[in-house]
Amino acid sequence: MAFRKIDIDALEEDAFGEDEIEFQEIGELRPLSDVEAEVNSRAQEVRSLLQRGNTSGALTTALQNPPYGAPYHAAKARNTQTVMEAVISVKVVDMAQVAKGLSPEEQDVLMKYLYAGMAAPEQYNSGHLLSFHEKLTEVAGQGCIVRVITDRRTV
Amino acid sequence: MSDAPIVNEFNQGPISCHAFNGDRTELAICFNTNVLTIFRKSGASWTQTSTLAEHDKPITSVDWAPRSNRIVTCSQDRNAYVWTLDGATSHWKPTLVLLRINRAATFVRWSPEEDKFAVASGSRCISVCYFEEDNDWWVGKHIKKPIRSTVLSLDWHPNNVLLAAGCADMKARVFSAFIKGIDKKPAPSPWGEKLPFNTVCGEFSNGAGGWIHSVAFSPNGESLAFTGHDSTITVVSPGTGDIQSIRAPFLPYLSVIYLNESQIVAAGHDCAPHLFELKGQQWAFSGSMDAAVKKADVGITARDTFRLMDSRAQSATSADTKVHTHHQNTINSIRPFSGAPGNVEQFSTSAIDGKLIIWNAHSISRGLGNMHI
Repeated sequence: MAFRKIDIDALEEDAFGEDEIEFQEIGELRPLSDVEAEVNSRAQEVRSLLQRGNTSGALTTALQNPPYGAPYHAAKARNTQTVMEAVISVKVVDMAQVAKGLSPEEQDVLMKYLYAGMAAPEQYNSGHLLSFHEKLTEVAGQGCIVRVITDRRTV
Repeated sequence: MSDAPIVNEFNQGPISCHAFNGDRTELAICFNTNVLTIFRKSGASWTQTSTLAEHDKPITSVDWAPRSNRIVTCSQDRNAYVWTLDGATSHWKPTLVLLRINRAATFVRWSPEEDKFAVASGSRCISVCYFEEDNDWWVGKHIKKPIRSTVLSLDWHPNNVLLAAGCADMKARVFSAFIKGIDKKPAPSPWGEKLPFNTVCGEFSNGAGGWIHSVAFSPNGESLAFTGHDSTITVVSPGTGDIQSIRAPFLPYLSVIYLNESQIVAAGHDCAPHLFELKGQQWAFSGSMDAAVKKADVGITARDTFRLMDSRAQSATSADTKVHTHHQNTINSIRPFSGAPGNVEQFSTSAIDGKLIIWNAHSISRGLGNMHI
């Protein structure tokens, strides 16, 4: 049997492309300005909660409404920073408790951000993220990790 | 009957699909090859009786109609065959089915009345096939819209008309597969009233993306359960508008069935069947149906320990590479084995480890106290 030399799937009309998948999973994209405004206001809110010492509240706030969607690169990076600030402030001994206190959706979003943070080891403390990853996996299981991999809505 | 699962090891390679005949005396298995092997029960084991070889590529799915005793197989070679047994010669005669698909067939199931069967395929359509008397052959009608990717699994509704499909475009859908001339108008159901062929009666997703690996109607047809690669199980009931998604902390499930209206069994990459139960109005995970295989069965003796230390410089007990479940690899198919359709008492699972295990559905309630994940 000969191996094809042409990419038959690229030539096919009506292919199920990335744009269609994104639209199906994420829906209509909001204007960039709205998303950036929301990310910035959330960053300020998380900072103030951290200053008052409310680490679990800060983390929960940081994990709300992540900016899913292809055009929002800057907003995503900004939001990752916000989440990382909240994550770093959680002490290792408190991690299990904090993880248990999150809702299943928040646990999945947190796992996405842990992986996003570990992808930039020069910026964020991977050792700390790894400890949190371990505690979160004990609570949410391997299913949580699988959802990070399969979910099209990336942070 | 004893609670322990009945393990059948065939040692012929991974099992891609299996099906029992109506009275469970015969078994059809495909060991990931082009050939379907038929076994007959003799005492506690199975002896090989026939080999059905007609496909050019690996067989992906098989189904055995319990009353009409016909076998349907579908394969990556874009074909399906209906096999009928010639009583005199005990020879299975194949009849080619024209599916008219240009990609592999992935899944096949007979309808409850056994007058039609549906074949899911990679060409983004489902072929609903029925026997046309005039031309003396099986003909297929396509359900195409709005499927966007490979259809991975199917399940028929008890009314013989509705068909659920789980798809790689991350959606589970319910279609009408009404064939004029074969089907009578179905009674109105929560899924819809006027149902011409290819009507979409519902389109659902899991919420976190992921291919839908398996779909199953509840025994009375009022609910649909489906499981996806994002490790979630969702149960939808259009009558009440209720949609429940359970995010499981386990690896994804590849196959799911209803034992009865309030119990669902799912199995997949965790190599063990898991039970989900309806408590009040909420579905939740109850436990694994596989009591961890005891250390004694795994068999690390003192002699083994020293031998391992010697040959592999490994210390003691963490040297076993066996998984502590009966199946050693991913389960890819669960099928009801005994009991009425709404009250399954035993079910069979086949896995990539080449084993076929028959489980007792009630064993969990007796062992629940001892089990832990």
